[in-house]
Amino acid sequence: MAMSLMRPGGFSYSELANAGPVQHHFSPYTDNGGSIVAVAGKGFALIASDTRLSTGYSILTRDQPKLYDLNSNTVLGCSGCWCDVLSETRLIEARMKLYKHEHQKEMSPGAVAQMLATILYSRRFFPYYVSNVVAGLDANGQGVVYSYDPVGHCDQNLFHAGGSSGALLQPLLDNQIGLLNMEIKPTEPLTLERAKGIIKDVFISAAERDIYTGDGILLKIITKDGITQESMKLRHD
Amino acid sequence: MFLTRSEYDRGVNTFSPEGRLFQVEYAIEAIKLGSTVIGICTSEGVVLVVEKRITSPLMEPSTIEKIAEVDRHIGVACSGLTADSKTLIDRARLECQNHWFTYNEKMTVESVSQAVSNLAIKFGDSDDDEGAMSRPFGVALLFAGVDEKGPQLYHMDPSGTYVQYDAKAIGSGSEGAQQTLVEMYNKSMTLKEAVKTSLTILKQVMEEKLNSTNVEVSIVTPKDNFHMYSKEEVEEAIKDVA
Amino acid sequence: MATGLAPEIPSGGFSFGNFQRNLSLEVQGLHPPKAIKTGTTICGLTFNNGVVLGADTRATAGNVVADKNCSKIHRLAPKIFCCGAGTAADTEMTTRNIESQLELLRLNMGREVPVVVANRLLKQMLFRYQGYVSAALVLGGVDKFGSHIYCIYPHGSTDKLPYATMGSGSLAAMAVFERGWKLDMDEAYAVQLVRDAIAAGITNDLGSGSNVDINIIRRDEPKTKIIRPYEEIGLRGKRHGKYTYQKGTTKVLETEVIPIVVEEEEVVQRMDED
Repeated sequence: MAMSLMRPGGFSYSELANAGPVQHHFSPYTDNGGSIVAVAGKGFALIASDTRLSTGYSILTRDQPKLYDLNSNTVLGCSGCWCDVLSETRLIEARMKLYKHEHQKEMSPGAVAQMLATILYSRRFFPYYVSNVVAGLDANGQGVVYSYDPVGHCDQNLFHAGGSSGALLQPLLDNQIGLLNMEIKPTEPLTLERAKGIIKDVFISAAERDIYTGDGILLKIITKDGITQESMKLRHD
Repeated sequence: MFLTRSEYDRGVNTFSPEGRLFQVEYAIEAIKLGSTVIGICTSEGVVLVVEKRITSPLMEPSTIEKIAEVDRHIGVACSGLTADSKTLIDRARLECQNHWFTYNEKMTVESVSQAVSNLAIKFGDSDDDEGAMSRPFGVALLFAGVDEKGPQLYHMDPSGTYVQYDAKAIGSGSEGAQQTLVEMYNKSMTLKEAVKTSLTILKQVMEEKLNSTNVEVSIVTPKDNFHMYSKEEVEEAIKDVA
Repeated sequence: MATGLAPEIPSGGFSFGNFQRNLSLEVQGLHPPKAIKTGTTICGLTFNNGVVLGADTRATAGNVVADKNCSKIHRLAPKIFCCGAGTAADTEMTTRNIESQLELLRLNMGREVPVVVANRLLKQMLFRYQGYVSAALVLGGVDKFGSHIYCIYPHGSTDKLPYATMGSGSLAAMAVFERGWKLDMDEAYAVQLVRDAIAAGITNDLGSGSNVDINIIRRDEPKTKIIRPYEEIGLRGKRHGKYTYQKGTTKVLETEVIPIVVEEEEVVQRMDED
């Protein structure tokens, strides 16, 4: 009955025409949704995720942030296939412990970023179905953001939106933080407070239009004094 | 004494009743036959000087390479069985590249020493670790480099033990040289002074007369990284040496 | 042989020509456009003085909310309404079509059309389209025979029920109905139950969202109106920053003024003289 109605995607003539044998596949991936937004500034880095975990049209939980404190100056945001997120983050944690003991120092965000790229590429032909964003403070105390594709391409940016609302939010950030396509640009540098406001506002907008983003957000603030966090409610429908 | 040893100095992994591994000790002894190497670490950088033994006038001196570049920021000097050192240097280079590939950062001098020592102690007579050495390596190494902690000098011997030094001498003239280093070294010496000091000490312990063909000099500085002295630069440095 | 008195009857049946054309277009890369689906929660129940229908107001296109406040309760007759789930166009067109037919029927018969008729027209139409018209409906209304709720599936099967839910949020809504439904409910209780059922769909089903729309059809009132919104469940968050742009932010690349020249012209039209 109603099941056929819920199937996303369109109608296909070739589906109707191919009345031949049907091959069924096992799919090892599922999309559990969720969005990540990160912004870097002078002396700070911000990273936020929503707290909804879903499968299909069902909500698994309304309270599962997708942020991982890797050390005192690096936070990782992961969304996508939740089981891959769990296994990938555990591997990263283990690798970071090994590094700490082997080299007697904490990993820098840059080292974490490169290591993550090699971890992802090591599964080039069975990738982690995860959208990753790393935010941290570099050796000079400046905010840095790294974003990835699922097989290990790494990009260093000043801001990034990933996950189910990534395509919806990135243009907003490009305009509000990247100040693209503006004749008259604000001259004052991005403050921590304004960056926080923008992140909260783009999540509010994402919850309006993306069915996989909602319920709440967790926002991590990375400064030289360490990591603090804030949370905010989002619409829960 | 030799009689009691004879039972226990064959297997590389067999301890003697006194708790000693003779093969490793013999390997350390082998270093004392090697040419003299001196390294001095200053706040401006690290210097490595090596004696090259030209045993025949028919020998081509430039083919004796006792100092090698491990990475842009790390050099290594060796004393002992030079052939063995190639394996260790290859490993050091590989580890540095691997670290850069994985973490996109320079490997620290200590980590390189650690990584190489892991290979140095992988000796034994078992067949299941193919590619590993059946005896200890017959070389000692001086790692000189500059990393986030500044200029650093590390010494590693055939037992795989690695220790950080302000100044260290290895090889045949090491005993006398080390003593002189203790006397002459001070924390505030400049790199130029260190080059001069090391060459002076090397000159004292060398049988041959010091010249630009029988000595190798290299420095590692934060600005220019690893740098091997050219013949002209060596001559220039020797001029100052009394 | 075709003559004027006995014209050749065209051979009946369905022409597959267009199907073949569409198939070859798709192979060449021209895919049919995707339709907006109302991943939906709709429901209805009868109470002691009529029926209550409820619906959410979210329309989705894939994982994107296409409309935050769409109307899913459709009027078929003054006292017969129908909630629709499925492809938005299908539910809208189907209900409008049936609304027309019911009105023609009323005019022809000269009396109010009962709810069973609406049900029969809908199921016959849907069955003819073999499920390809994606409309899952909850039909409700009152007539001289009483209060009725029908559940109509896209393939044309129907159920006559005291309470029904449909759409992707049907399980969430039905859970509320199963807990709270009683025989002979009063209006306040029935409306609250419908509201709770739709609210459950809105909060727990990602295909449903925004507001609760409710329509109460009472036996003792000639007309009814959809209460829209009955309640807003998903509320927009308050913005922290200001996002107004200074005048001149958008670059003007080129300006060209084209004057409109008004010319007067006398046209004499002549009649043809044959």
